[in-house]
Amino acid sequence: MNENTRRTFLKAATTIPIIGGAVLAMHSILRYFKPTMAGGLDALTAPPDTAPSPPQVAAELSDLQTPWACKDFIYVRSSVEYSSRKTQGAKIPGFVLRLPDEFVKDKSDPKSFYLIVQRICPHLGCTFNFVPDRDVLHGGYNYLAPQPFHPYFACPCHLSVYDPTHYQANESGVELRGKVVSGPAPRPPRFMDFDIKDGKIFITGTEGGGVG
Amino acid sequence: MAELAMTPKPGLLARTAAFFRNLVAKRGALGHGYHGVLDAPANLWGWLQDRWEKMDLFDESHTERAKTNPWYAIGGMWYWVWMLVIGSGVLLMIFYIPDTNQAFGSIERIMENWKIGAFPIGSMARGLHKYGADAFIILATMRVYRIWFTGGYKGGHELSFMVALLILIIGMYSGLTGYLLIWNQRALWATKVMATFPTYLDKNPSWIPGGDFINATNQGKTTAQVLLGGTSIGPATVTRFYAFHFMLSFVLMIFFELRVYHRDFKRMNIGRWTKLIIFLIIIAVAIFIPAAQGSPANPEVTPNPILSDWYFLAMYQMLKLQDPYLATILTVGIPFIVIFALFMDRRPESKWGQRQIFNWIGIGGLIYFVLFSFLIINEIADIHRDPPLWYYSMGLFLLIGYFQDWAYVMKRDNKRWWETFHLFFVAFIAVSMLANTLYHYFGDIREHNVRAKGIVEQVMAAKNMTMDQAYGWLESNRPGLNLWHTNEVVTATGKPRGLELWRLHAAAWLGIAALGALVGLKRWGAKRDAQQDAETAKAKPKAAAPAPAAQA
Repeated sequence: MNENTRRTFLKAATTIPIIGGAVLAMHSILRYFKPTMAGGLDALTAPPDTAPSPPQVAAELSDLQTPWACKDFIYVRSSVEYSSRKTQGAKIPGFVLRLPDEFVKDKSDPKSFYLIVQRICPHLGCTFNFVPDRDVLHGGYNYLAPQPFHPYFACPCHLSVYDPTHYQANESGVELRGKVVSGPAPRPPRFMDFDIKDGKIFITGTEGGGVG
Repeated sequence: MAELAMTPKPGLLARTAAFFRNLVAKRGALGHGYHGVLDAPANLWGWLQDRWEKMDLFDESHTERAKTNPWYAIGGMWYWVWMLVIGSGVLLMIFYIPDTNQAFGSIERIMENWKIGAFPIGSMARGLHKYGADAFIILATMRVYRIWFTGGYKGGHELSFMVALLILIIGMYSGLTGYLLIWNQRALWATKVMATFPTYLDKNPSWIPGGDFINATNQGKTTAQVLLGGTSIGPATVTRFYAFHFMLSFVLMIFFELRVYHRDFKRMNIGRWTKLIIFLIIIAVAIFIPAAQGSPANPEVTPNPILSDWYFLAMYQMLKLQDPYLATILTVGIPFIVIFALFMDRRPESKWGQRQIFNWIGIGGLIYFVLFSFLIINEIADIHRDPPLWYYSMGLFLLIGYFQDWAYVMKRDNKRWWETFHLFFVAFIAVSMLANTLYHYFGDIREHNVRAKGIVEQVMAAKNMTMDQAYGWLESNRPGLNLWHTNEVVTATGKPRGLELWRLHAAAWLGIAALGALVGLKRWGAKRDAQQDAETAKAKPKAAAPAPAAQA
């Protein structure tokens, strides 16, 4: 044993730089698989644009006069990505929902009559639907809603159901409409910031996160 | 007498300290553990070398057996099916265009335009590729189960089982990367789910030691970005999946061929007629049920219902039933759980009746796979009704296996029942089953509970009401039922009962596990010590033997 100590030590001492070199080489090979993106890892969590120009119109107020009127729209959030097209506009589908007066907290604020959510399910990223029919919700989404019935948001993939009349906190503790009443979703749908001008709803920003 | 009375009985603190001192002592359980860790690298290397020698890729060591027993020909069969899939895949590569705008159309053209006379070559090639891949997964699954149920991993064949499992996982992943290439709705949403679920690996709760550190390394997000080639499914994803789809088979084949080159054995232990029959079966299926294409991918609409490919259905259903973090850990962890279970089976016996716990683990896995798939295909799954049954049956399977095994050990060792009974194991399972069942039947965590459904049906029958009327009646007359878990109800009734039940369950569970581990460690240490004492006692007479000779 004693004779080999020096050799063993030298072997160990030379192994370390060899392993280090191999790790460095592996790193550059593995790095090749990672896409080149402007936001890096944060592109998945941070909103890339807080004030898009020009502002995009989500809906017109004249279409949203009746309670529970719901309009879908596509909001294009552009982010730089490596592809043959250099940039990729991530299309985010959304819903504008006109809430009935009895669910509006602050009636002096015109914005509080509308709920705008990203349609990307915060569970695993499918596009969820607006379900105004109780039987469809029961048969298709496995949730028997209480009476009196009001519409829900529901995701076909893993059957998460969101109640737009109730609040639930997201990861940062902000209370949002769209409490999860059934299914595995961990939080309510992501919101969009908006402004109302000239009878139109403009999107001004999005909550980050989610694979769009 | 007086002196004896003076010696006080050691207090609880002193006894506890003595217990731990004994544990840490050189010959205690921890002492053995300490030396075990020191010797681990050398032992592990030797262990691996031994298993590497015995590793079985295509059932090549069962060539004689395969002639009479088709279960041992599965290795050759899956290799043959794999070759068919690779061959047809190369044909498809010639016409396929990996781009989001053209992929779906190029598949349509392969199916419709590529013909010789009226003979649809393209449709056949695609059918051979798709059904061949399905056959691959069926055969790989059957092989894993064969090794599991026959105890084929015993006697140093653990690595064979692990490689068989790895082949199955790689096959499933090849399937997933393959069906995105069609660029239809099923493919798009399956890929979205599959690429999003790793992000939950970054959401470890901070009470897990190192949880925050693991979260900070962003493993999940990196995985998602590497898979997608960006933040969302797009052209980059398709080219990536095309590359992965090809690469998985290619790299695996290089490794397998290197092994064949070094060992010089036959890859397929099946005859040419068997090969022809397998080929004809797949071709017949491809002719009579041409591979479906679905509708083109549309990221703005998720169809309802949406299903994954058949081999992912059970896991897909599991994602619906669980908290997403737990579901992710389970999905990633299933292979590790299986391998852990394999290393729990330390007895040399490999006959069916002699290892019932492990048989029941296998049977349970098979039942879940078939049952979940059946429920979801027939649209009779209910995410509120199923989880308790699932948890309950999991405990039940383990208990059935345990009691059968207990009976076997009692008979084998000729012991009384309490001498071979594992109290902590049974208590652990029983508490789990009981608490999970109670939690799901009486807990009002998210939605109306399962218990209420039965009562509603009774009210409907008794009062001749519709379901709506019955719920309305119950809400006004039985407020204690807590039918709807709403903010108001929680505020009115305080904390949900289910949560306390859940905490109680977790505490009891961890307590029993810790106690069981402690007692088990102590017994194991004592057993090791007794063994060592016996060995020393055996060695001593030999050492003493020369002495009488010297005297003589």
